[in-house]
Amino acid sequence: MKVSTEKPKKGFSRRKFLARSGATILGSVALLYFGRSRVRGALSNLAAGMKFDSGVTDFDPTVWFEVNADNTITLKSPKVEMGQGIFTGFAILAAEELDVDFAGIKVVHASTLSGPQSTASTGMSNSTASLYTGIREVAATLRETLKLAASKLWGVPITTLQTADGVITSGSHRATYAEIAQQTKKWKLAQTPALRPASTFKLIGKEHKRVDAEEKVLGKAVYGIDTDIPGMLYGSVLYCPYFGGEVKTADTSRASDSPGVLKIVQDKQWIGVVARTRYAAEQAVSKIEVSWAFEPNYSTRDAIEAITVGNGVAVVMQDEGDATVDSKSERMIGEYRTPLGYHASMEPSVMIADVSGETVTLYASTQNSAFMRETIAAETDFKEENIEIIPRFIGGGFGRRGYKHNGIEAVKLSKAAGKPVHLLYTRQQEFQNGHVRPNTHHIIHGQLDTNGKVSVLQHEFATGSMAFLAVPIAKTIIGADFPAAGHGARIPYTIPNKTTKIWGGDLPFQTGLWRGVGMFANTFAMESFMDEMAERAGVDPLKFRIEHCGNTELLQRRKKLLLKLGEEGGWNTPKTDSLGRGIAVCEDRGTISAALVEVQIIDKKIKVTRVVQAIDAGIIVNPNGVRQQVEGATIMAISAAIYEEATIENSQFVQTNFVDYQVATLRDTPQIEVIIQGSLELPSGVGEPPISPVAPAIANAIYNLSGIRLRSLPLQAALEAHYRDSEK
Amino acid sequence: MKIALKINTEASTFEADPDMPLLWLIRDEAKLKGTKFGCGKGICGACSVHIDGELVRSCLYPAHMAHEKAVTTIEGLSKGQDRLHFVQQAWLEVQVPQCGYCQPGFMMAAADFLKRHKNPTEEDIQNSISNICRCGTYPRIIKAILLAAQTKNHESID
Repeated sequence: MKVSTEKPKKGFSRRKFLARSGATILGSVALLYFGRSRVRGALSNLAAGMKFDSGVTDFDPTVWFEVNADNTITLKSPKVEMGQGIFTGFAILAAEELDVDFAGIKVVHASTLSGPQSTASTGMSNSTASLYTGIREVAATLRETLKLAASKLWGVPITTLQTADGVITSGSHRATYAEIAQQTKKWKLAQTPALRPASTFKLIGKEHKRVDAEEKVLGKAVYGIDTDIPGMLYGSVLYCPYFGGEVKTADTSRASDSPGVLKIVQDKQWIGVVARTRYAAEQAVSKIEVSWAFEPNYSTRDAIEAITVGNGVAVVMQDEGDATVDSKSERMIGEYRTPLGYHASMEPSVMIADVSGETVTLYASTQNSAFMRETIAAETDFKEENIEIIPRFIGGGFGRRGYKHNGIEAVKLSKAAGKPVHLLYTRQQEFQNGHVRPNTHHIIHGQLDTNGKVSVLQHEFATGSMAFLAVPIAKTIIGADFPAAGHGARIPYTIPNKTTKIWGGDLPFQTGLWRGVGMFANTFAMESFMDEMAERAGVDPLKFRIEHCGNTELLQRRKKLLLKLGEEGGWNTPKTDSLGRGIAVCEDRGTISAALVEVQIIDKKIKVTRVVQAIDAGIIVNPNGVRQQVEGATIMAISAAIYEEATIENSQFVQTNFVDYQVATLRDTPQIEVIIQGSLELPSGVGEPPISPVAPAIANAIYNLSGIRLRSLPLQAALEAHYRDSEK
Repeated sequence: MKIALKINTEASTFEADPDMPLLWLIRDEAKLKGTKFGCGKGICGACSVHIDGELVRSCLYPAHMAHEKAVTTIEGLSKGQDRLHFVQQAWLEVQVPQCGYCQPGFMMAAADFLKRHKNPTEEDIQNSISNICRCGTYPRIIKAILLAAQTKNHESID
């Protein structure tokens, strides 16, 4: 009935993974041998142009697909659906080669024991880009494998077979894929055939509705939090709200006596309760009397000082020409800061662990099953091969689910209780005990030549780490997080003398990935400064950027997109004095993304009224999906740019819920237009790139409107500080 | 205490702590998972349901207060998969959801809003619904509510 998935997985995927680990070790040895700074510089160059691998090595169709009795096909996705629309994109890619109705492909998550595995997380806007060819190849191989089986069953040459709508025909022979699958005991895998050329695409590039839209509209989609298995109990954990804190003394006697409580587990940094209901568990946790051992008095001021250019380890990321050249013109200096920020995903971190004997089943809202499994194996007594991670829909990722948060606790609670345990962060824990986007500090020096062109540009910036939360040793090896937090810091424009230097500071709390990684902060600084230089040069900001786009392929694409945005977005159309207009652009792993923003200031409040986004991301699999991502990134960017800031008092985050962590609501919704620049390049990412140009475009628009240059986020707070200062 | 209530079309009785938030009764006892937890403080609206026809954020609503009342959740908004509520139809038509987690709460809020606003403007919507979506589906939510209002006016279904 189904294509067997029982045959042992091909060994090469594991071997390849081991080989890759070996490469990492060799890399570390090389660092020690050749001296760190040179190797760091070289690695930085490498990281800048890097296209990330999918982390998927197994493209055996019997691992990826099941042909169901109703002739639908199940595709097991090694990447997780968290809203970015990849299930729809994957179905389109597979259907294109499989000759089936697009609606007949059911996409589900692969678990760590079933379906194709990915050693890389879901993120970096990488799923469609990295699997665009792989999914079509594995689908085409399934089609040819089904044909091979049919030709054997019917005793006809394979060349006489045709496929359409899930049916194979040859002369008078006719069978559905499901019928062939039912009659085939042992599969002989076909060679991967040549892929269909873009000119014959029937599905790729057309408008498609999301495959998950209906279940999400009906309230039937199953997220991590919705996991409900027989005998399941509820956990609640008391975490230390203070950075790095540990339990000093704890009295759990009142908690033990609380109704419905079955088990209490005390760990070094937390105390967990298992009870019959979530309410009972939470009530019991509130009765725990605990004192914490922690380093007190750390504040936002300390985080700002730690993340300041000149503090920590410096790595040169870019060094072209001679940035020390003297010139008659004066140097311009711009100093920018971005704050700590939460992801604030609507679904807090949630894990449901079912420990039974030697095995663990973990139903998880995770962007990184492989890492979750490794971590549980490393931090508990369970062997990796005995741990199955079953990913579910995630209620918003944005980088928040790349780590181990509450997986270990869920496993320990389930083991203690001998029953499955559902463990959910409260919103306060999600904010105080998750990880945050690190703050940044940027100092940019620029010099113009006599023609008004930038002759020197130096970007020095400080930031915490984003990539090191999972691999802390990497901080020691590479010094500062140029691959992730430094993303987008290099100066892309054609400027003869330019340097970029990152300072990696230390923060005493968990910082990590956030939508767009470093691109968000670095683009804010760089594209704000481009406007400042344009003004000094007396050149229109759009024209000024184009004048610094030289002959590289990426810069030519940047130029073309900026021109299109200017033209279609109405850059030069008349406007009233109450409206400010700004523009900004970024390049993010092959995708160019540019935003034109219009703002007003009404009663001293920033109001974004219109955003036109233009994006060039190569071949578009589903334009509807791309527009969704661009619209969503625009809203999230408006939110982060204008309102969001996490602050610290006495070694804990101050903001514990949406009441004091303001995010954008319906009221902040501007008119949004999305321009998609089509191309025949292989697809690049769309989830993250459009978030980055929005903040600088807003700041530039505010300057255009008011003459007030805001150099720190969040912009509303910066504007209020400006008003306060000018009243003094 | 015993809490007797009607959830969607079904009358049920649950033994629960009277102060337990109604949200957990709906999700963990009645096993209706469409209503979501977001903030636990009545701010984000992910847990929105209707109680006797009124919009309520169930994460702050003690279970005992729902005793002998009628609760409608997202699962009860439509009359089966073939007859979606006009708000859900609009949501599908406009392709609103991304991660989708907050959408049941938004649709419950929208259905309630449209009872009181026959011909809403964008501003009415923006000023009346304070739910939070982190994927940034707001432009489509506004579009879907405007579309739903039209559909409702034309077809006068409730």
